[in-house]
Amino acid sequence: MILEASNLGWSVRRLRIVQGVDLAVREGETFGLVGPNGSGKSTLLRLLAGILKPTTGKVAVEGQPLSGLPRRLAAQKIAYLEQQADTGEAITVRDAVELGRTPWLTPLQPWSDEDDRIVAGALADADLHGFESRFWATLSGGEKQRVHLARALAQRPRILLLDEPTNHLDVRHQLSMLDLVAALPVTSIIALHDLNQALACDRVGVMAGGRLVALGPPQEVLSVDRIAEVFGVRASIVVDPADGARIFRLDHLR
Amino acid sequence: MAATVFAGTCIGETPIPLSIVVQTLANKVLGAAYPLDPIDMGIIWNYRLPRALVAASCGAGLALSGLVLQSLLRNALADPYLLGISAGASTGAVTVTIAGIGGGAVSMSLGAFAGAVTAFLLVALLARAAGGGVSTRGTGQIILAGIAGSQLFNALTSFIITKSANAEQARGIMFWLLGNLSGVRWPDVTLAVPIALTGLIACVWHARALDAFAFGADSAASLGIPVRRVQVVLIGLTALVTAVMVSIVGSIGFVGLVIPHAARFVVGVRHGRLVPATALTGAAFLIAADVLSRTMIPGQVLPIGVITALVGAPAFALILLRGRRRP
Repeated sequence: MILEASNLGWSVRRLRIVQGVDLAVREGETFGLVGPNGSGKSTLLRLLAGILKPTTGKVAVEGQPLSGLPRRLAAQKIAYLEQQADTGEAITVRDAVELGRTPWLTPLQPWSDEDDRIVAGALADADLHGFESRFWATLSGGEKQRVHLARALAQRPRILLLDEPTNHLDVRHQLSMLDLVAALPVTSIIALHDLNQALACDRVGVMAGGRLVALGPPQEVLSVDRIAEVFGVRASIVVDPADGARIFRLDHLR
Repeated sequence: MAATVFAGTCIGETPIPLSIVVQTLANKVLGAAYPLDPIDMGIIWNYRLPRALVAASCGAGLALSGLVLQSLLRNALADPYLLGISAGASTGAVTVTIAGIGGGAVSMSLGAFAGAVTAFLLVALLARAAGGGVSTRGTGQIILAGIAGSQLFNALTSFIITKSANAEQARGIMFWLLGNLSGVRWPDVTLAVPIALTGLIACVWHARALDAFAFGADSAASLGIPVRRVQVVLIGLTALVTAVMVSIVGSIGFVGLVIPHAARFVVGVRHGRLVPATALTGAAFLIAADVLSRTMIPGQVLPIGVITALVGAPAFALILLRGRRRP
């Protein structure tokens, strides 16, 4: 197991945001995390990234406890894409992506051609060719999101934690982002809102009220009953006659 | 850099030809033996050169402090003056002076450091209690808390002066508080230069960490920066640098706020280049301000804080207006 959480919990002022999460993510899998607003998805990702210190339980990366790992080594293994990270600094797209190399550099181990190559690759993967010298403030929401993805890719992590990465993206870039993440030789955990996108994951975890209430292959976990219970909507499954793909159709639960 | 220090040494109220300045330096540094007027030599070696060196260290140190605070707190308005660090340092230094603990620059610096750290801790605690905090997204509170802290410590300083100092002491302290390089001698140089260099080296060492704060503390953490440690080390150093500079030359506003912005317009936002540029600009700016303060009104020395504000404010306005035209 590349990433394991046991009895993971986090509370603020006695309010339990996440509690009792047991999770083991396999190497190379694409793991979807779904759940309504405020169900604790983002907090769980921040705990798994080691940015928040858990109040209960622990996280282990490749068998080692994350809390004992220096930040730099942790960042060489795990990249985390925040939901909204903005800056007032006049930085360019290339500057922002180059930040991804930070965990691999020290004052004694400066920037090299290899780093240039990795940054160029990350820019290309995120479809940012021609954007390199654009200033951050001139980018649209979706473009900013792609820059954040490129920065996470430039970090060359083994584990990619993405918090609603398809937010703000147009349809084409939503699909290409998910395809890209699925094709990468890394383990990824993605918080998603679109249940149809979740169907494409290897496994899905469902969060509700700070707990992980279901875990397994998407076809099993995302049942009509569970969707009604967790999200309060009525789902029906439609099959595309062309290729047999399953699609959710969602309605208000009356 | 060397040229600026040299220029600061050459220009002064008593006109001294350039050749004599060079010969003095040659005599002192290289052991040459040019026959010179001992008064000229004294002015150059004991008065102007240390003054220029301290001005350079002070300018570089204050500008770097401003840069560090702006980057770590992600607030363009952050600087040691506005966050109450200078005010706290003044209170500390004044307390030590009046209470007469120890003597000389070192004990005053220690007092100033204690004051600076106390002030910053108070401001940070207040900001956190108000929901802002040092590391979180809401950074407006830290500025508000800083203003409150500045007022509190300035009031404390005034209170201590009025309560305890005699008239002569009070006048001296008030003049010193506005910033004054007149009393600077070699012992001050041996304190200011190493502290400024320490600050510079620490900032160069942490340049990538400072870059990583561009998207906030969480993002810095996910890029492998030990956020808490970097904040404590760099902000502690900022307090130390500010405290030492305040104890030597009094509290000089504006440098910490304006110089980093000016440097950003020239070399961009990456700290690898921004840190040296800020240090150089700060040093050159304060030497120039000191030269102006000595020569603007013949026979009288203006407090340097007056010059930095008088020259700095319009310069900053110009930079802002020119920056708007850029994409």
